[in-house]
Amino acid sequence: MAFIERAPGESVATDRRVLAVAALAVLWLITVPFTTTDSLTGLILTGLVFVMLGVSWNLLAGYAGQISLGHAAFFGMGAFVTAWLTTPTAGGFPESIQLPVIPAMLIGALAAALIALVIGPIIFRLSGHYFAIGTLALAAVIELIMLDRRDLTGGATGYYIQADLSLGEVVSHGDVMFYLTLIATIATVVITYLIVRGPTGLGMKAIHDDEDAASSLGVNPLKYKMYAFVVSSFFAGLAGALYGHYTLYINPQSTLAVTWTIDALVVVILGGMGTFSGPIFGAGLFLLLDNGLSAIVSGYSEAVEGILIILFIIFLPTGLYGLFKEYLIEETDGSDGAHD
Amino acid sequence: MVFSDLATQTIVNGLLLGGIYALAALGLSLVFGIMDIVNLAHGHMLMVGAYIAILVFAATGITPLVGMVLAMALMFGLGVLLQKVLLKHVVDEGLEQPIIILFGLALILQNLGRVILGGDARTADIGIPGNGFDIGIAFMSFPRTVTFIVAVLLIAATWAFLQYTKTGQAIRATAQNRTAAKHMGINTDQIYVITLGIGTALAGAAGALLSMLFPIDPYVGWSYLLKTFAVVVLGGVGSVLGTLVGGLVLGVSENLGALYLGGGYRNVVSLLIFLAVLLVKPEGLFGGSGGGE
Repeated sequence: MAFIERAPGESVATDRRVLAVAALAVLWLITVPFTTTDSLTGLILTGLVFVMLGVSWNLLAGYAGQISLGHAAFFGMGAFVTAWLTTPTAGGFPESIQLPVIPAMLIGALAAALIALVIGPIIFRLSGHYFAIGTLALAAVIELIMLDRRDLTGGATGYYIQADLSLGEVVSHGDVMFYLTLIATIATVVITYLIVRGPTGLGMKAIHDDEDAASSLGVNPLKYKMYAFVVSSFFAGLAGALYGHYTLYINPQSTLAVTWTIDALVVVILGGMGTFSGPIFGAGLFLLLDNGLSAIVSGYSEAVEGILIILFIIFLPTGLYGLFKEYLIEETDGSDGAHD
Repeated sequence: MVFSDLATQTIVNGLLLGGIYALAALGLSLVFGIMDIVNLAHGHMLMVGAYIAILVFAATGITPLVGMVLAMALMFGLGVLLQKVLLKHVVDEGLEQPIIILFGLALILQNLGRVILGGDARTADIGIPGNGFDIGIAFMSFPRTVTFIVAVLLIAATWAFLQYTKTGQAIRATAQNRTAAKHMGINTDQIYVITLGIGTALAGAAGALLSMLFPIDPYVGWSYLLKTFAVVVLGGVGSVLGTLVGGLVLGVSENLGALYLGGGYRNVVSLLIFLAVLLVKPEGLFGGSGGGE
């Protein structure tokens, strides 16, 4: 007898026990700033950023089938546009454009989405391998240009962001950022869930499984790819904005480097590509690995990540979610278990 | 006056560098054309080859031109192992699995490079940087000239191997039509092993040559992956001659870009050319000869 039963095609998330576990997790997260140290709060905040990155990359790669290696570009541009708006003078902008943190973050995320909207029709002329390498090149171009534009970015040195959000003595800046990140993460998860469960998600899956067949049946591949790309970039940009304003420091390498793309990919592969809850599990495991394991294997954490994604993709392509599914979920009929 | 014309000198330097770019890209192009896999770890393999030559040079003083042979042998072994252990079961299974396995391998190589050698850039400076000769229009430095000649010889050797040996013909047959080749009695599994071995060895050779000219650090892998892929796109997947032309074009345009826009834009120029070509003709300028999408 499995923990959860479900009919084929039915979502696990509608199971009351799953909702209860999710609610408990959120309740626990709400208590985090009061029950743990600042550094642990920061660590869990980083975990939430990984969830946002993973969920957003998964929408594009796991659902729409577009393996992008340029995710860092949107993370970094979200962070930079937000930083320009909260700390305009450091980026050479007039002080008059200064905005409060929350609107600045939303505009930062929108800017990332806008970049995707403009680039999308061009970059989606590429497919498969060419798309993967094209997005890697695009992100590299953006990083190099931003690194060179010292006036806008502070170059390799970067600059400090002025946006202290602490509320008196009780709630520190880090704690406020934690709650903002928590809200943004929940929004990312819920909105992405609604998308992949709705007709748009079906369209994405159709072009993922067989673009030509979907196209011949009247599905417009570009429309669904663009949808996934723009939404994915928005949330990646929001994640970058939150991360930059948590650390209160920004430079091109800290936000635009390929490591953020790697992190998103590792989170998704560990959790289960093309599965809805995969990236959430994956972010948890990745956080443990990134910190717990790095204490044990010291300088080898990157190699361990590499080995893990290779082992996972060969032996456990559905990731941690696949393991959970095998042991906790029982199909009541049929075996349509893909894409949850 | 040696530098009578800065632009001419820049173009000559670009051509000399372009030969090594072509060699570096040839391995990527062969693997792409024959196995339909983009080796995301190709730049990192190049980095490993460079480090082998640098380490041999630092320990014994033996020139990287000899270290290159060792690098090629070791990297051939790595390529064979990679195909036999990791890629064998996923090579014909679509895009996701191979690309992620090679991405993981890139991470592993980058990490090992950093742990073993530290994050600092190193070079195998063979100690004759100022020496060279004047050919009237430009000055030819010895390291650049020698590495260029070695690179072109290796490209020619690879071409001859593909053209005139039985194995080379089997490789070309597999590139043209995998299924038909199999029916004709070609052991395509074996062909894949040899192809990845050669591709990896060529990356190692290019790395060893580059270590004589530029500092190499553990993070250069991504940058060289993009450069070599740009050459493949310029030259056409699986075309040896096209790769040579693509390498020369990239070397020259990078150097001219650095001259006119500033050193910081050296890599931006090559990436922009690359993206532009992809957008004009998404399957490469001379695409369609090999596998590819």
